[in-house]
Amino acid sequence: MASASATYEIKNEHGEVINTSTGLSNKKLLMWAFLGSDVMFFGSFIATYLVYRNRSLVGPYPADILEIPITSVSTFVLLMSSLAMVLALSYIQQGRQKLGTFWIFSVVVLGSIFLMFQVYEFNHFAHLGLTPRTNLFGTTFFILTGLHGAHVTLGVLWLMFLGFGSLKGTLRKDNAIDLELAGLYWHFVDIVWIVIFTVIYLISARDVAPPGSPPFVGH
Amino acid sequence: MRFPRIFPRPKSEYGIWSWISTVDHKRIGTLYAVTSFLWFLVGGIEALIMRVQLSQADSTLIDPELFNQLFTMHGTTMVFLVVMPLSAAFFNWLVPLQIGARDVAFPRLNALSYWIFLFGSLFLNFSWFVGDAPNGGWFGYAPNSHVAFNPTHGMTYWVIGLNILGIASIAAGLNFIVTILNMRAPGMTLTKMPVFTWMTFVTSVLIVLALPVLTVALIQLQVDRLYGTHFYNTAAGGDPVLWQHVFWLFGHPEVYILILPAMGIVSEILPVFSRKPLFGYTFLVFAGVAIGFMGWFVWSHHMFTVGLGPAANSAFAISTMAIAIPTGIKIFNWIGTMWGGSIRFTTAMLFAISFIAMFTIGGLSGVMHASVPTDAQQQDTYFVVAHFHYVLFGGAIMAIFGGIYFWWPKATGYMLSEKLGVTNWLLMLIGFNLQFAPQHWLGLDGMPRRIFTYAENMGWENTNMYASAGGFIMALGVLFFIINVIYSARKRVPAGDDPWDGRTLEWSISSPPPHYNFEKIPNVAHRDDWWFTKHPELIAEYYHDEHAGELRAPSGAQFDDDDFAEDEHAEAHASDHHDDDDHGHGIHLPDMSYYPFILAIGLTIIGAGLMTYIPVIIVGVVILLWGLLGWSMEPVNDPAPEGEAHGH
Amino acid sequence: MHHRLIPSKFLKLALLVPALAATFIIAACSPQHPQSTFGYAGPVARDQGDLFLFIFWIAVFVFIVVEGAIIYAAIRYRRRDDDKIPKQVHGNTKLEITWTVVPSIVIAIIAVPTIIGIWEQQRGAPTDQGDILEVEAIGHRWWFEFRYPNQEVVTANEMHVPVGRPVNVKLASQDVIHSFWVPKLAGKVDMVPLNDNLVWFIAEEPGIYDGQCAEFCGIAHAHMRFRVIAHPEEDFQNWVAGMRTPPVAFEPGSPEQQGQTLFATHCKTCHTDDSWRQDAYSLELQQQDSRWATWLADIENSRIVSAPNMTNYSQRNFLGSGIKENSRENLIRWITDPNDIKIGTSMQAHAAVYQERADNKINLSQQEVENIADYLLALKPGDISQLTAPVITGGTPEERGEQLFISIGCNACHSLDAETTIVGPSLVGIADRAGTRTSLSAQDYMRQSINDPGAFLVEGFTNSMVVPKLPPDQVDDLIAYISTLK
Repeated sequence: MASASATYEIKNEHGEVINTSTGLSNKKLLMWAFLGSDVMFFGSFIATYLVYRNRSLVGPYPADILEIPITSVSTFVLLMSSLAMVLALSYIQQGRQKLGTFWIFSVVVLGSIFLMFQVYEFNHFAHLGLTPRTNLFGTTFFILTGLHGAHVTLGVLWLMFLGFGSLKGTLRKDNAIDLELAGLYWHFVDIVWIVIFTVIYLISARDVAPPGSPPFVGH
Repeated sequence: MRFPRIFPRPKSEYGIWSWISTVDHKRIGTLYAVTSFLWFLVGGIEALIMRVQLSQADSTLIDPELFNQLFTMHGTTMVFLVVMPLSAAFFNWLVPLQIGARDVAFPRLNALSYWIFLFGSLFLNFSWFVGDAPNGGWFGYAPNSHVAFNPTHGMTYWVIGLNILGIASIAAGLNFIVTILNMRAPGMTLTKMPVFTWMTFVTSVLIVLALPVLTVALIQLQVDRLYGTHFYNTAAGGDPVLWQHVFWLFGHPEVYILILPAMGIVSEILPVFSRKPLFGYTFLVFAGVAIGFMGWFVWSHHMFTVGLGPAANSAFAISTMAIAIPTGIKIFNWIGTMWGGSIRFTTAMLFAISFIAMFTIGGLSGVMHASVPTDAQQQDTYFVVAHFHYVLFGGAIMAIFGGIYFWWPKATGYMLSEKLGVTNWLLMLIGFNLQFAPQHWLGLDGMPRRIFTYAENMGWENTNMYASAGGFIMALGVLFFIINVIYSARKRVPAGDDPWDGRTLEWSISSPPPHYNFEKIPNVAHRDDWWFTKHPELIAEYYHDEHAGELRAPSGAQFDDDDFAEDEHAEAHASDHHDDDDHGHGIHLPDMSYYPFILAIGLTIIGAGLMTYIPVIIVGVVILLWGLLGWSMEPVNDPAPEGEAHGH
Repeated sequence: MHHRLIPSKFLKLALLVPALAATFIIAACSPQHPQSTFGYAGPVARDQGDLFLFIFWIAVFVFIVVEGAIIYAAIRYRRRDDDKIPKQVHGNTKLEITWTVVPSIVIAIIAVPTIIGIWEQQRGAPTDQGDILEVEAIGHRWWFEFRYPNQEVVTANEMHVPVGRPVNVKLASQDVIHSFWVPKLAGKVDMVPLNDNLVWFIAEEPGIYDGQCAEFCGIAHAHMRFRVIAHPEEDFQNWVAGMRTPPVAFEPGSPEQQGQTLFATHCKTCHTDDSWRQDAYSLELQQQDSRWATWLADIENSRIVSAPNMTNYSQRNFLGSGIKENSRENLIRWITDPNDIKIGTSMQAHAAVYQERADNKINLSQQEVENIADYLLALKPGDISQLTAPVITGGTPEERGEQLFISIGCNACHSLDAETTIVGPSLVGIADRAGTRTSLSAQDYMRQSINDPGAFLVEGFTNSMVVPKLPPDQVDDLIAYISTLK
C-alpha cells in the first residue's frame, strides 16, 4: 500500500498550506480531545447527583424549591446563544466582520443573561434555605450547576476576548478557527446544560422527602 | 494585538532561563526525568524509613502518625511524581523522534505541563515542612479523609496538590494525543507506528479520560473539607462507597497509565537486542488497546470486600480475569520476539527481560485477587503490597530503568557504563525480590497493610527483616545508577548515532539530536523503518514479499502552524535562531516563552490560596491571567528583533 | 560492543530468585501463626484457602512455563555471532491465537469455582447446621463492639461464640470504614458506614482466634485488634448467663468499692459497666448512639466519645482492643497514660480526666488509678449457684414468692407482660399452660423448670437460665407467685 496519502494538506489561518496526518488542524483535535475529557468531568458530577437523589436527610427537597419555568427561560436563553454562536462563526468565516462581531457579542450577552439567572437562582434558593451545606441535594445541586456556571463564565470571557479581537480586526476570516474552537466549547457547554437541566429540573424536580424523613416546612 | 511584556522574550540557549523558558520537547523531557528521579529518591527514602520501622516487632522508631504520612506520601509520590512523570519524560523525548516530527503539537502547552507538575509536586511535599503531610492513604478513602476524622491540613494539601498535578497530566495527555494523531511523518500510518508511540497514545487517552474523574473526586472532598458540603459526610447521608467508586473509576485506568508506557519501552528494547522485529506487532498493539479499554470495566475489584453483592462481584471478577488475556498475549509475544533471535545482554536488555519475568509474577498474583473468595483473605494485606510492587516496580520501574540505559546514549551522546549498569540491575533485581517475594507470604500469614507496627508473637518478624534487607539492597542498586551517571558523564565514551543497531527513527539522527530533530522530515515506508533502511534486503523476509515493492511517500512537511512557525515558507526569519548550528537553516522552531512558567506559578498560588486566604487566590488569579493573556497574544515566533533587547 | 559481559549463569541465577521465592511461600506455610490464612478453623476460611491453592498451583504451572521460556530463550538464543542476523519473523497468527485461547480457557477454569464461591459465601450462614447465632459487630475508632441482640448481651473486642454453630455477623460502622477479619475463620468483610454487611463463619474447634481491622482507619489502625473466642456450647451459655448476672457486691471502703466510685465519676459517661441489668441492652444501644451524636456535635471539644462496654471486664483476656494482656500492671499503665500502649485513643484525646492535664496523662493519683484497675478487674459475674436466696419471712406465699422473684433477678429475663420477650419466655398465664407442656402436672412442671431449666425447653428458646439453689419451700413460694401471673 502506498503511503503517500498519510498526510493531508490543509490551510492554516494565514492561508499557508500545511500537512497533518488527519486533515484536521492540531487546535481542533486538541479541543475535541479536551471536550472528551470534560465529558468525564461532568459525567462524574451528574452521576454523583443521580446517586444522591432522594438521599437527603433533611429538606428542602427538589420539589420544595425548583422552579422549572424560570430555569426554562434561562435554558432557552442559553440555547439561543448557541444559535448566535453559529451565526457569528458563519459571518466571520464569510468575512462579514461587522455581523460576525455583532453575533459574537450577542453570545456574550446571552451567556451573561444565563449567568445572571443562575446568580438569581442561587440567591433565591439560599433565601429559601438551600445552600451547599444544607443537605445532599444542596451539595450536589450547587456544585454541579456552579461548575457548569464556571464553564459558562470562562466561555463568556473567552468570547469577549475574541469579540474585541474581531472589533480590532485581529480575528478575521483567515483565523476563524479560533472562533470555531470557542464555538465548539460553547456548544459543548450548552449541551451539558441540557443534560443537567433534564436531570435536575425534569427528572428529579418532583422529588420529595424520602419516606421516614421530615418534610420541609420552610423558614 | 500585543500584550505588554514585562520581561523581554527569552532567547538564551544556556543557563537557567533557557530551561525555564524552553519549549523544546527534549529539554522538557530532561526536566521531567531529572525532577521525577529526585522524587523517586524521596519516595524511596520514605519507603526505607518504613522498612526500618517494620523490620522488628513493636518498633517505636517512628510514631503511627508519621508512618501514616510516610505510606500516604510514598504511594502518592511513586504514582504521581515518579512513574507518571518518568513516563512523561519518555513521551517527551521519544514520541516526536519516533514519529519523525520536530516537536510536539503544542510546545508551550508542553512546557506548561511540566511547570505545573513541578509546582504541584513541590506544593504536595511542602506539607512535610509544616509537619502536616497527607495521612489518609494515597487512595484517600472517605470518610477517613473527611475533615471530621482528619482535621489536620494534610489531606487538604493532598487534594489540592493532586488537582494541580491532574491539570498537568491532562494537558500533557491532550498534547500527545494530538501529536501522535497529527504529526506523524509522511508514510507513518498507525500500523507502522513504533509500539512505544502506540502505548503513549493509549496512555494519553486514558489520562485524558481518567484524570477528570479523579479531579471530580478531589473537588468533592475538597469542598467537603474546606466549605462544609456533604459529599462524603456520613452524618448527612454522604456515602463512603461512592468515593470508592469514583476513586477507582479513575484508579484502575491509572494502573494502566502506569504500566502501558513501560510495556511500550520493553517492546522497543527487546527487538533491538534480539535483532528481530517485534513478534506479532498487530496482536501486541491490539492487546495494548484492549487493556486500555478493558481497564475501564474492572475498577470494582478494588472493592470486593466492600459488600457490593454477589452479582457485582461476579461480574467484576470475570472482567478482571479477562484482562489477563491481553496481558498474556503481550508476554507471549515478547518471548516470541526473543525466540529465534540473536540476544545481546546489555543492561537495557537485562532490565527488559526482568520486566517480563517480574511482571508475569505480578500478573499471576493479580489473577488470585480477581477471585473474590481468595481476595477476601488477601485484600488489604501485604500480599496485595507484593502484587502491585511486582507490577509497578518489577514492571514499570524495571522497564523505565531499561529505557534509561537504552536511550541514554541517544539523549546525551555518550554511553553509560555497562559494568556499573549490570551491577545496578543485579542489585535491584535481587533486592527487589528479597523485599517483595516474602511479602506475599506476610499477607497470607495475615499481616494487614498500613500498620505501623505488629506484635511479637505474630510470626512476621523474620520475613519482615528479609524484606527490609531487600529494600536496602535495592537502594544500593539505585546508588550504582547514580554512580554510573556521574562516572559516565566524566568518561564521556562517545555513543555514535546508532550504538545499539536500532530500528526506529530516533536512531537515524545524531546523538544528541539537534534542536530540530530531523533536518529533512523522513518518509516512512515500513515498521522499524530505520532498520529496514539499513537492511533493505530483509524487507521481503519480514513482509513475506507482500509489500516488497512499496514506495516511499513524497516528502512533505508535517507541521501545523498552531504553535509553530507562523510562516513556514518564509525564508526571511530563518536566521532568527539556531545560528550556531551548521545544519537546520530554514527550519522554524517555536521561540522560547516564559508564560507557561508564569501561568503555572499563578495556578499553584491559587492552590495555596484555597488553603489560606482569599487575597492569595486573587494574587494567583492575577498572575494566571497575566500568563494566559501574555501567552495567547504572544506570536509563536517573534518577527526579527527590532530594537528589542536580546534576552540572556 | 561488550555484549558477552553477562555470562548466562548470572541470568539463570537472577531468574531463579523469583522461582525460589514462590517455593518459599508454599513451603513456609505455618498455620500455627495467629493470623495465618492457612490455619483454617472453619468452612469459610477453608473454602477460601482451597480456592487459593487451586489457583496457586495453576499459577505455578504458568509461572514455570513462562519463566522457563524466558530463561530458555535467553540462553538458547544468546548472541554468538555478531554478523548473523536472525530470520525477520513477522509473527505467527496460529501461535498467537493459541496463546489467546489457551489462557482464556485457564481463566474460565478459575472463574467457575470463583463464581460458586462468591454466591456461597454471600448467602449467609447455613440453616441446616444448628441454631444460627446472630451477632452484630460495630467498628469504632479504634475498637470493636459486639452485640448479641437475642441474648441482649453487649461486649467489646472479644467475641464469644459457640463451637460448631454457624454465626452470622452483621457488620456496621458509625465513624469510618473498618474491616472485620479473622483469618482462620473467614476472609474479611468491610464495616462501611451506612452500608451494613454480613459475614458468617463456623468455628470448628474451641480456641481464641486473632482478628484485626484490615481497612486503614486512622492513627491507631495497627492497634485495632480483636479476638473471637470459641467455646463448647455449654461454656458459651454460661458466658451469656454470666453477662446477665450482677457482680458480687464490694465491701464498703474496699479498693474496689472506691474504684467503683471513681469509675462512676470519671469513666461511666462513656463506659457502661453494668449491662447485666434488666433492659440494659436497649439502654446501652441508646447510650452509644447519644455518645456518638454528642461527639459529632462538637468533634474537637467533645468530652464524650463512643467507648467499649466494660461489663464483666475482668473476663477479658486483652486490653486496648486486643493488643496487650489484661493484667493489673498493663491496666494501670493503660489508665495512667493510654499513649504508653496505644497512640491516638479517643479516650485520651477527649475524656476530661485526661484533658485536664497538659501532658494528657490521667488527672488522678496513682492510688486512685490502682483502685479503678482493681474495680475493673473485680467485675465478674457473681457466682449465682453459690448464692443463697435471701430469707424472706412473713406474708403470703405469693407475696414471699414475688419478693424472691425480684431479688434473685428472675424478672431480668422473664417479662411480666405477655407481649414482651426479654430472654426467656414471658411468664404471664404460665399456670394455664404449664400443665399442657409435658406429662407433668402444672406444679411439677414449674418445679422442674426452676430446679433443672434444661429439662424441657419451650420452642424457640435456648437454656441460659441461671438460678441459685433454692430450698424446696422457697421454690413453692415462687410457684405460688408465678401461678398468679395473668
